[in-house]
This record gives sequence, C-alpha cells and structure tokens, in this order.
Amino acid sequence: MKDWLANSLVLVSDYRVPDPSTVWPLLQRRTESLADMGVHHVLVYTSTTDPERVLVILGIHAREPVLDLLRSRVFFDWFDAVGVQDLPAVFAGELFDRIDFDHDEHPAPPVMVSMVTSVADIAELNLRVRGAASAFHAAGVQRFWSFRALDDPHEVLILQQIDDELSARRWLHDSDDAAEWLAEAGVGAYPPVFIGQFQQMMRIER
Amino acid sequence: MFVCLCNGITSHEVAAVVDRGAATTKEVASACGAGADCGRCRRTVRAIIESRGAGRETTSAGPHRN
Repeated sequence: MKDWLANSLVLVSDYRVPDPSTVWPLLQRRTESLADMGVHHVLVYTSTTDPERVLVILGIHAREPVLDLLRSRVFFDWFDAVGVQDLPAVFAGELFDRIDFDHDEHPAPPVMVSMVTSVADIAELNLRVRGAASAFHAAGVQRFWSFRALDDPHEVLILQQIDDELSARRWLHDSDDAAEWLAEAGVGAYPPVFIGQFQQMMRIER
Repeated sequence: MFVCLCNGITSHEVAAVVDRGAATTKEVASACGAGADCGRCRRTVRAIIESRGAGRETTSAGPHRN
C-alpha cells in the first residue's frame, strides 16, 4: 500500500464468507462496476485465525457522496455473491498518516493487523506512535497507517504491517497501545481485531 | 462506521437512539431508519444495543481515549 491511498476515499470492511477462495474471482468479474464507482485499488487479506474471515480495502476516487456509494447495488450484489447475509459495518475514511518503521527487505511475508478504535485526537495518536518508533520497530511493526473516519473525527482505523503472526500476537498481548486501542474491538459495531495475510491486489485504471 | 447501507446510518446514530431508549431492532429502525429496509444490518444493530445496554448498567460514558 503506497501513495495511492492518499487523496482517496477508503472503504474497509471485514466479514466471514463461506469460501474465501471465491472472493478474488468474484472481484475480478466486477472490475467494470468497481471502476464505475471510482474504485482504483482493491486489496484482499485473509485471516490467519479464522479461515472464513476476509478484510477488503477499496481505494476510491469518489465522484459521488459516500452514502450514494454505500447504497449502490454494487455493494449489495457483492455481498450476495460472496454469500454474506448479515452485512458488516463499513469503515469509510481517509488516510491520515503513514509511518514507516523500517525499510528492510524481509524474507517472509508480513501480516496485517487491523482495528477500529476511538481516540480523542488522531494527530496526537500519530505523534505518540512516532515518538515510540523504536519500540514499534523492536516489536516487529514495519508500517503503520491511520485513517480518519468521515462520519466521526474521533474514529480511526489502524492498520499495521508486522513481521509475522507471532510478533503480531506478542504486540497485541504486550503493548500498552494495543491494550488501549483494543478496548472496543468486537464491541458494538467495531469488528474484533483482524490478523491476516495479503492475498491479492487489483489496480483498476480507467 | 456505517451500519445501515440502505439508509446511510452510522454506528453513532444507532447508539444515540439506543441511549434515548430504543431497546430492540424494531425500535431502532423506527427511530433512525437503521435496518428499516433490507434488515441485513440488524445483527450489528443488536450488537450496538447490547454494548450500550451493558454500558448503561455497569459504567458511565467515559471520555474518548487516546
């Protein structure tokens, strides 16, 4: 995930599907309708802890209000196609900050940890993370992205690329930041923390 | 987060009507529209009702954390 996230509407949702292997081919069949919505990138991650759970990130050059995008048939058709009956809550926001803790080549594919939380001040959160860069790096965190929700300036989606699942689990277990950010994970509309591996990325050009 | 895609209702709007007394998915639907159309967001609406109910009984609404 690089510069394409900037200046884009980002829609993120995670949900359980009966067969995650169908997600990618179904997305590929919808390239036209995704392009019509302004979608320029799609990323798919699959959970390492729940074999039926996927995280899907859409980067969109929004030409219409977010509510119109969410109401579009594309979303409903998509959930129907992958077999999702109960619709998940959808995070809609914009990239606030990206922090790179290392620029090393890593032999193994990293994992992505995703969580949604509520903070008093997202700028302060990012300052705090930057100030603790050495601790994040030591814990195996390679990159950190924060996204501010469009519907709530306190709501933030945090994505972290971490060396491997063991490091991710250690960070989730040991970090004071994790303890704070996870306080509302799985509560109300917020999904439980997601740990997964990158599966596919689609770039849609029009 | 957007809970009801049909009507564009957010989790905060649902939480607000729950805090004002809506205690079932039907009451939430009639108060703010979430779940009033296709009804496929009712599971999330129920989760919000449960989370707010537990909060009312055991804790006060605290400040946002950072």
